Amino acid sequence: MDTYLGIDVGSISTNLAVIDEEKRVLAWEYLLTGGRPIEAVQKGLRGMEKKFAKGLEIKGVGSTGSARHLTGILVGADTVKSEIIAHAVAASHLIPEINTIFEIGGQDSKIIIVRDGVVVDFAMNTICAAGTGSFLDHQAQRLGVPIEEFGDLATRAKAPTRIAGRCTVFAESDMIHKQQTGHATENIVAGLCQALVRNYLNNVGKGKDILPPVVFQGGVAANKGMKAAFEEELGYEVIVPEYYHVMGAIGAAILAQETIVQTKKTKFKGFKVSEVDYKTRSFECTGCPNLCEVIEVLMNGEVISRWGDRCGKWEVLEK
Amino acid sequence: MAIKVGIPRALLYYRLYPFWKTFFSSLGIEVIVSGRTTKKLLKEGLKYAPDEACLSIKVAFGHVQDLMDKVDYLFLPRLVSLERGTYICPKFIGFPDMIRSAFDNLPLLIDTSFNLRRRPSNLFFPMYRVGRIFKRSFLSIYGAYKKALEEESKYLSSLRKGNLLPGVLSSWEKKRALRPSNPKGNLCIALVGHPYNLYDSFVNLNIIKKLEDLGARVITPEMVSPLEIKKEADKIPQEVYWSLGREIVGASFYLLESKSIDGMIHLGSFGCGPDSFLRELIADRARKHQEIAYLSLILDEHTGEAGIVTRLEAFIDLIQRRRMLKS
Repeated sequence: MDTYLGIDVGSISTNLAVIDEEKRVLAWEYLLTGGRPIEAVQKGLRGMEKKFAKGLEIKGVGSTGSARHLTGILVGADTVKSEIIAHAVAASHLIPEINTIFEIGGQDSKIIIVRDGVVVDFAMNTICAAGTGSFLDHQAQRLGVPIEEFGDLATRAKAPTRIAGRCTVFAESDMIHKQQTGHATENIVAGLCQALVRNYLNNVGKGKDILPPVVFQGGVAANKGMKAAFEEELGYEVIVPEYYHVMGAIGAAILAQETIVQTKKTKFKGFKVSEVDYKTRSFECTGCPNLCEVIEVLMNGEVISRWGDRCGKWEVLEK
Repeated sequence: MAIKVGIPRALLYYRLYPFWKTFFSSLGIEVIVSGRTTKKLLKEGLKYAPDEACLSIKVAFGHVQDLMDKVDYLFLPRLVSLERGTYICPKFIGFPDMIRSAFDNLPLLIDTSFNLRRRPSNLFFPMYRVGRIFKRSFLSIYGAYKKALEEESKYLSSLRKGNLLPGVLSSWEKKRALRPSNPKGNLCIALVGHPYNLYDSFVNLNIIKKLEDLGARVITPEMVSPLEIKKEADKIPQEVYWSLGREIVGASFYLLESKSIDGMIHLGSFGCGPDSFLRELIADRARKHQEIAYLSLILDEHTGEAGIVTRLEAFIDLIQRRRMLKS
């Protein structure tokens, strides 16, 4: 069977998805990046290969996410695209009439405005990371609530506590204060969700033309409290798609399919990539006062790629 | 030995350097320009600059520091207004004072005021005061001034022909013919903002090259004629009274209306007051042109490369995909 593979390597999670010619999702993998993107990709590939006993005919590969360039080199991706395009492509394929996409991931959040299947505008969080997955994780831990139960707990709240959500630092001290004055945990958790939603709509969503249908995806979409808070604030339903947590990977796979139509042959190095010894290392170039941090990728001890230099002198590899 | 005057490669350097350089050289004075912005230079600037200053002023502090021990005079004119009815940002007006209070052992400062708000034709008077520091002869100062005007007008007209500023400036400096840029890109992107953000390739993480590598031709406000800028700027109900701000808004509106671009990027620096207004003014107009994509980027001293690259890639992809689906 002809299939396409998409890999989305983000700050917190690494996702893989395999789709067929009809863009149906055949399998997916979701694992934590754990600060080791190479290992995560290799582990994901091994997991994916095991899912298909009869073997897989991969016709094209796409990579996305913050480690998309590194991943692209490792696996031999046919297309390397930013997560904004990947998320938009996946969402508008699954729900063609989509107008707005909220995507909240591990360390960033984005809003994507789509009209007639085309991205017309987007924004990413700039300086503030309030409301992203890492912050919720941290707060759940602090409150002693397992992150999986965080959303359920929030939906049980009768009177959500008002929390200052402008800034994670203030949100945290406000939460501690509310805890100490005796507010129930579920009310605080629900209040936190509301604060984050307000923060998201006022910062990332500022000046954007938010129209339904709205799709909510990314890891944080698993949190029912966040979905409910969005719906309350907007006044209409917010759709969380079935594959909300691997939408980037699905998008990358669709983009790979599009690319292969033109390039015909894939550059995919095969699942054996997961056995190869890849390493990265970095050094500070002292050639000029910029002191760029140059990163090298090594395959079996041999440098296969370099980046990070402003002038470009390290990018060209001497053969 | 010739007297050395230092000009920081910052702020209005990108616009006024040919004028200033010609003026000083004609008077037999050697002009020294600070080096290009680097990580080290910016670090020095951050050490001395007030915390609440915008990124561009912090960068300028670094350039002043770079020149300190190399020159007899530092040329830091107090630019109040360079045209009728508008002002230069107050941080520029106070720049010589900020420098004086931040550094010890400064070379002599030339901080002549330029306030032409009422009479734009009076540019010669402050220039004469600058010239008098070095020369007694009225005629030689006037001659240098005339020559400087000539060179400036050549420089500006080359920009208006659609040449990117860095190329024009370096060909002017080296007295070499301008290599005609031959952009292969099939997309046309207007990059708008203050010149010291658009053309300092360190500060903006080499955005022009990044855009060109992504297949875009880059257009900037310097390529728009002052007449068109004035026409558009005059239409704004509330006058924009910052000189550069007025120019940026006028040029952006003209480019949006001309329908000759596929996208527009506003490049602002963190902590810049005017930019926070311009960004919204331009965004508001851009929304009326659904066929032109608009992106706003804010630069600061911590700007991570990844964030800029992701946004630029997404922005270009958005335009390319829109085109693909249309055809």
